[in-house]
Amino acid sequence: MSSSVAPESAEQRRRVRRSAIAWLLVAALFYFGFIVLTLVRAAK
Amino acid sequence: MADLAHADTHDDHDHKPHGWRRWVYATNHKDIGTMYLIFACTMFFIGGAMAMVIRLELFKPGLQFVDPQFFNSMTTMHALIMIFGAVMPGWTGLANWMIPMQTGAPDMALPRLNNFSFWILPFAFTLLLSSLFVPGGAPAGGWTMYPPLVLQTGASFPMLIFAIHLMGASSILGAINVVVTIMNMRAPGMTLLRMPLFVWTWLITAYLLIAVMPVLAGAVTMLLTDHFFGTTFFTAAGGGDPVMFQHIFWFFGHPEVYILILPAFGIVSEIIPTFSRKPLFGYEAMVYAVASIAFLSFIVWAHHMFTVGMPLAAQLFFMLSTMLIAVPTGVKVFNWTATMWKGSLSFEPPMLFALAFLFLFSIGGFSGLMLAIVPADYQYQDTYFVVAHFHYVLVPGAIFGMMAGVYYWLPKWTGNMYDLKLATWHFWLSTIFVNVLFFPQHFLGLAGMPRRIPDYAVQFTDWNMVSSLGGFGFGLSQLLFPYIIWKCVHGGERIGNKAWEGAHGLEWELPSPPPYHSWTTPPSDAVIARGAAH
Repeated sequence: MSSSVAPESAEQRRRVRRSAIAWLLVAALFYFGFIVLTLVRAAK
Repeated sequence: MADLAHADTHDDHDHKPHGWRRWVYATNHKDIGTMYLIFACTMFFIGGAMAMVIRLELFKPGLQFVDPQFFNSMTTMHALIMIFGAVMPGWTGLANWMIPMQTGAPDMALPRLNNFSFWILPFAFTLLLSSLFVPGGAPAGGWTMYPPLVLQTGASFPMLIFAIHLMGASSILGAINVVVTIMNMRAPGMTLLRMPLFVWTWLITAYLLIAVMPVLAGAVTMLLTDHFFGTTFFTAAGGGDPVMFQHIFWFFGHPEVYILILPAFGIVSEIIPTFSRKPLFGYEAMVYAVASIAFLSFIVWAHHMFTVGMPLAAQLFFMLSTMLIAVPTGVKVFNWTATMWKGSLSFEPPMLFALAFLFLFSIGGFSGLMLAIVPADYQYQDTYFVVAHFHYVLVPGAIFGMMAGVYYWLPKWTGNMYDLKLATWHFWLSTIFVNVLFFPQHFLGLAGMPRRIPDYAVQFTDWNMVSSLGGFGFGLSQLLFPYIIWKCVHGGERIGNKAWEGAHGLEWELPSPPPYHSWTTPPSDAVIARGAAH
């Protein structure tokens, strides 16, 4: 992670990655979900 | 000897990049925190300048300085800049600085995402501010963007929508980073119920951000399609419903209020024990109170729009659920007061700001309770009473909380004590003028002066003059704040690890200023236990 100090162990690194991906998916689902719903409704 | 010197240079692990690369490619939590704080401070003064224009125009009745369209642009832009540009990035800056230091982590979990979240903001606000120069001027329909009025916005409309999308994306990414850091990067032994209250309040704030910013994105996208693509979500003539926008907006907007204030609760919960030299009274109750407030924030939104007309059952539900928020808030105020009870109090600038927060935020809370009462709200709504209410919550609430936090941790960040006398002057001037500025607005509102108008009936003149004088005084006294920080960064009395005798917490175990990477070796359980003094 460039000049920053990365998470210490491989296990922690895995947990950070898993957790980040999960939250990004949740946020993306919310964010784009609302927008897609809007567009689908608009297209009707 | 040479070996020793060599070992020393490697102990600090300060492999920081230099020059512009350090900031543009920043991945260090302290550098990014600093950039957020500088950005927030800049926006605070830009938004503040707009407030000065508003108070100048309202100094006396009649139109003196600006035309009504520009006045409306000023109220709209002032709100957007203060909320999304000053307060939210300010909290994110403090989170970046303090969460790794307070949890025993070396850095934020996702440093590159952190960089990206920050660098979205200058683009978003350049876009928003440049709308002042397009035909038709900046958005003027209010920060709430109610249709159908907002759909009449000129060329600046798509700029507003895109800027809000960018701000929302930045906030969500920042919130994800906070959640992932707190849940995965805490030092072993730093259990959830050992975490400082600032970390707790930020964790809950981050969940709120992830939950509600997408709602705002959906709402403004619907506005965009109504404006450009012929949809009629909010246009009655096409079968749409403008009131629906208000429901969607305030479903975002009310939790947003708590996004702006919860971190201040955390900071006050750090400061009051330090300067009372006592552990925080009722730590767990404070955590549960914050969580309850966050939960309740999702079921109170319609109190912002009682007058649109809704069934009696809905009015009762939203009135009572709003009043319910007073219970966990009362728990917090009680616990802060109980922490001070029989404490060995001292009144350095962070404590002064925290105490002003306690008194003045409570005034904002009480006027909020008054507004929650449906029949009373029918009288108060859209008057200056509402303006007084939310400014009491946001200025001596959120802004004073942030200033308390900066004055509390600034010696830790720089290694130097700031000019305490000047900071005390800053406190007294701010506290006196903020009351001169906003308290008369209660009277104006109760007398019936509507908000968002550039001109008013002559009977409102006297209190408007008082309010404007308070505004100019408050605005000018804020210039002390960056000066005090600048002076502290460039020198001052050196401090040890602890800037304040009664301070507890992991951040005070690190040297001042802390090393470039905070906890390259996790703190021991004994150090964590010493820090968690509740």
